[in-house]
Amino acid sequence: MKNTLKNVFHSPRFLVGFIIFMCILLTVLIYPYFVHRDPLQGLGKGFLAPGTYVSVYDTNNTGTYRVELPEANDNRLESSVPVKDRQTMLDYLKAKGTDISGLDTSNERFHELIEVWKANYDEADAKKNKYEGFATQAKRNELRRLNNRLSSDVSATMTVTKGEGESATTETISTSNYVKVDEVANAVTLPLGTDNFGRDTLTELVKATGISLLVGLLAGSIATFIGLAVGLLAGYVGGVVDDVLMFIANIFTVIPGFVLLILIYSALGAESRSITTCAVIIGITSWVWTARSVRSQVISLRNRDHVNLSKLSGHSLVRIVVTDILPYIMSYVVMAFILQVSSGILAEAQLSMLSLGPNPNELPTLGLMMNWAKLFGAYTSSNAWWAYFPVILVIALISFSLNLMNTGLDQVFNPTLRD
Amino acid sequence: MTKGMRKYFKKKIFWFIITFIAAVVLNFILPRLMPGDPVNSIVGKNISPGATPEQVQEQITYYKHQFGLDKNIFGQFWDFVKNAFNGTFGVSYSQYPRLVSDIIGSSIWWTVALQLPAILVGWLLGNLLGALAAYKRSFYDKALMPLTLFFSAIPAFGASVILLVIFAVTLGWAPVNGAFDPGMIPGFNWKFISSVIAHYQLPFWSIVLISIGGQAVGMRSMSIYELNADYVKYARFLGIKDKKIVRYVFRNAMLPQVTGLAMSIGSMVGGALVAETIFSYPGLGMSMYAAINSSDYPVISACTLIITIMVLIASFLLDIIYAFIDPRVKAAQFD
Amino acid sequence: MAKLMLDVRQLTTKYITRTGEDVYSVDHVSLTIEEGKSLGIAGESGCGKSTLALSLMGYYFPPLHYTSGDIIVDGKNITGMDPDTIRKTVLGSDVAYIPQAAMNALNPTRKVGKFIEDVIHAHELPMDKKQIREMAEQRFALLGLPVDALDKHSVELSGGMRQRVVIAVSTILNPKVLIADEPSSALDVTSQKMVIKMMKDMMAKGLVKSMIFITHELPLLYNVTDDIMVMYAGQIVERGTAKEMVFDPIHPYSRGLMRSILVPEEGTRDVKLTAIPGTPPNLKHPPQGCRFAERCRYATEACKFNQMPLLDIGGGRFYRCGHSVEHLREVYEGED
Repeated sequence: MKNTLKNVFHSPRFLVGFIIFMCILLTVLIYPYFVHRDPLQGLGKGFLAPGTYVSVYDTNNTGTYRVELPEANDNRLESSVPVKDRQTMLDYLKAKGTDISGLDTSNERFHELIEVWKANYDEADAKKNKYEGFATQAKRNELRRLNNRLSSDVSATMTVTKGEGESATTETISTSNYVKVDEVANAVTLPLGTDNFGRDTLTELVKATGISLLVGLLAGSIATFIGLAVGLLAGYVGGVVDDVLMFIANIFTVIPGFVLLILIYSALGAESRSITTCAVIIGITSWVWTARSVRSQVISLRNRDHVNLSKLSGHSLVRIVVTDILPYIMSYVVMAFILQVSSGILAEAQLSMLSLGPNPNELPTLGLMMNWAKLFGAYTSSNAWWAYFPVILVIALISFSLNLMNTGLDQVFNPTLRD
Repeated sequence: MTKGMRKYFKKKIFWFIITFIAAVVLNFILPRLMPGDPVNSIVGKNISPGATPEQVQEQITYYKHQFGLDKNIFGQFWDFVKNAFNGTFGVSYSQYPRLVSDIIGSSIWWTVALQLPAILVGWLLGNLLGALAAYKRSFYDKALMPLTLFFSAIPAFGASVILLVIFAVTLGWAPVNGAFDPGMIPGFNWKFISSVIAHYQLPFWSIVLISIGGQAVGMRSMSIYELNADYVKYARFLGIKDKKIVRYVFRNAMLPQVTGLAMSIGSMVGGALVAETIFSYPGLGMSMYAAINSSDYPVISACTLIITIMVLIASFLLDIIYAFIDPRVKAAQFD
Repeated sequence: MAKLMLDVRQLTTKYITRTGEDVYSVDHVSLTIEEGKSLGIAGESGCGKSTLALSLMGYYFPPLHYTSGDIIVDGKNITGMDPDTIRKTVLGSDVAYIPQAAMNALNPTRKVGKFIEDVIHAHELPMDKKQIREMAEQRFALLGLPVDALDKHSVELSGGMRQRVVIAVSTILNPKVLIADEPSSALDVTSQKMVIKMMKDMMAKGLVKSMIFITHELPLLYNVTDDIMVMYAGQIVERGTAKEMVFDPIHPYSRGLMRSILVPEEGTRDVKLTAIPGTPPNLKHPPQGCRFAERCRYATEACKFNQMPLLDIGGGRFYRCGHSVEHLREVYEGED
């Protein structure tokens, strides 16, 4: 056993496949500890290209210190206090009876407007007097919010002093609209942008990979288990049991498995298709090949000397199967399992592409991500490669690694193929 | 026809009929085993919000009657079989009262015209590549093996999407979707035909790619097995040219691939149907996709039944052909 | 002296393993066969006899490689000829081969007659389909094979018939040297007898000018070939006439081989069965001295270190041993 494992890990193909698979698995397991975001939470609207995104509201406010940049302030004001709000300010001042001659909504006059505003606005005063047009609570709240937004110091400029004493010169930095990215509090880096729902694609992809692997593993285990059980039973017991089981297997060999899946899935309806249900159904529709191969191997083993010896010794059927037959077909079963995992992941993806995937409101899967990309035109109208290409790549890498492991095992266990 | 041959055909036809019946029964029974009532969802969609429970019940009864769902299971099965054999496949749920055959009638031919040649070409190319890979083995093993393994791991729909993005969206060499220019009226004129050909390319080549992968891998190991066969060594030492020997090997390795095709045609068609939806090709895949999105069970079930029957017929024919062209099977089966 | 059909001088060939190691499985082998004569080559599996058979054709492909030595067929040195010339002018016509697994030697999807056509075409002989067919029919009739076998695939023929068809196909070009590698080993006794009769027949009719017959059953050769050669670990250890080799083997290995198989032949009936213990040496690292020393019950310390030359003791008799012929005979007599 130990020796076999050593041989297996000496096969370069198996090793490479194993390493790739483990990398994927580790990423899936570790990533959530670094990024706590909910994979289905929307961050923006529609497809955002990969990059670092900064909230436009509080670009300059950081936890540690404040950088004041006049032009940046202007820009910021323009976006945070749009013309409509300035008009509201003017209206309020006018309603209060303040002199607003010489004031308008332009950027140039904005500082003056703010000064006049600061001198005249008072929350308690507004509440007490109920000026015309601002008599309702809602209107007054709007004013209060507006005032809060303006309360940050907007007049300072950034100056840099060079030298000391008399030779000191002071320069005003006027062109700096920049701020260091890692000092920005509300910035988010989206290495793979967002998908059509505005979800962080990378976080979603990692979660989806995990779920798809789970689907594959569950489907693969179920298929292998059923296949093994049926194959052992048909091969070892033989007779009528064999005939009946192989009759069923023969029928399911020709009827395409995915047709069955489509039928079952479409009848189930999206709400009842949980991840587990999907995996279980994939599992119970794909055991046939495993069963057939296990059966033929068991038949060739059935009359070997050591099995006959066990039979003569009166060992139970279970014991004979476990000790005299299973060890000989184990390597094959492991290989079949690996292939089943890979085809389970693919089956989920294909069904999801037909809108027959697991319930899309629960958790993402690789197939669902592909289907969303298709439905929202990621590869046609939006040209959002980040929404589908990484998904294809991950699916390909998973199958690639599993196939490599499989051929590696094949070379170790079937040496005739080696040369 | 010898006695052995007759026996062989009887056996094959028996199995074909059994599988055929099983397919029809499964197609009928599987959706009905699942929880959920399609009529409720149709009524839920169509009824006005202010309807009284009595009105809802009335609607449900009405639709149940229209779709024959008020009959017992055997009556329903009889309807199902009848509709399948007269080719109408019943009434559509979502486009009531259109017949299912109306909706999917033309799509069958688009699917057949697309998938049959594509799968055959893919099979042929896959076998050629596999044989080449086996023949030029040292070069292939060193240089191309990991690459091929990786590319064959790309799922069918992934390859289709990549082709679509590169050739249709980015380069603009081919149309993005459909089977012909939507502004055209189908007819037997050059303009229409050239439009069909242009639209045919991408789906065709994607399905070819899908079919190549699996075939090439199988053919390669089969060819390696054959290349090591005793007859190769013997022929070599009789002075027969390498070219001729390669032809022997290719033929001998390729013949079993005919059954290989029969066995894998089911999964190939699955991938091809998904490819159809990516290119919005108006075949069965697309019809089924539309039906799935509108919960139109009669259409879904008609599509799956037609696909199953086509796959059954294809693998049945391939099995028969194989038995005739491969003397190894002929000797084993016919006596 | 009759004309030499095959004259092999110091032929050495090697296998190159996947890990790049050289394995010399034919090591400085020299042998001659005269016209009309046959030579049997015997040895355990892995002694290099099958590799020798492959090496004698001068047509090498990996993992087998030519190293040194000459192969002269009917006065023509075929070593160093380019592979395509060998293919066209030597294989099948000068040197023909009957493979070990003749059961599977025929392409299962090609009819026997078609395959014969391929063989003739490969040698670019000026014959059309009809002539080839006539020739093949005549040859099959001459060898007592059913002519309708030409229209059959190999899978439709019985095992013994397949083997005889292979022999007929191999010799269709009347080769000067026929190399048969265990042609009868996989067959039942009746078929074996038929195959051997057929081969002797071909020699007698002059369809084949000389023959090498390879087998692990040394005593079988007594009835078939004129001379017998025994190989061990890639080298010739002894050669003599069939009679000498069976009844008076000199080399301890030949003697062991002779005695390890019970064959109901006169004179061997009462000899007790003594299989040779141990296995042949790994030729990746051949022993320094006598290659048989490890397993030889008569080996001295010197045997393990001294290179053993092949000694010519006259009358076409050779052996490779550190002990003298007289010494060995004495020892053997004491044992019996």
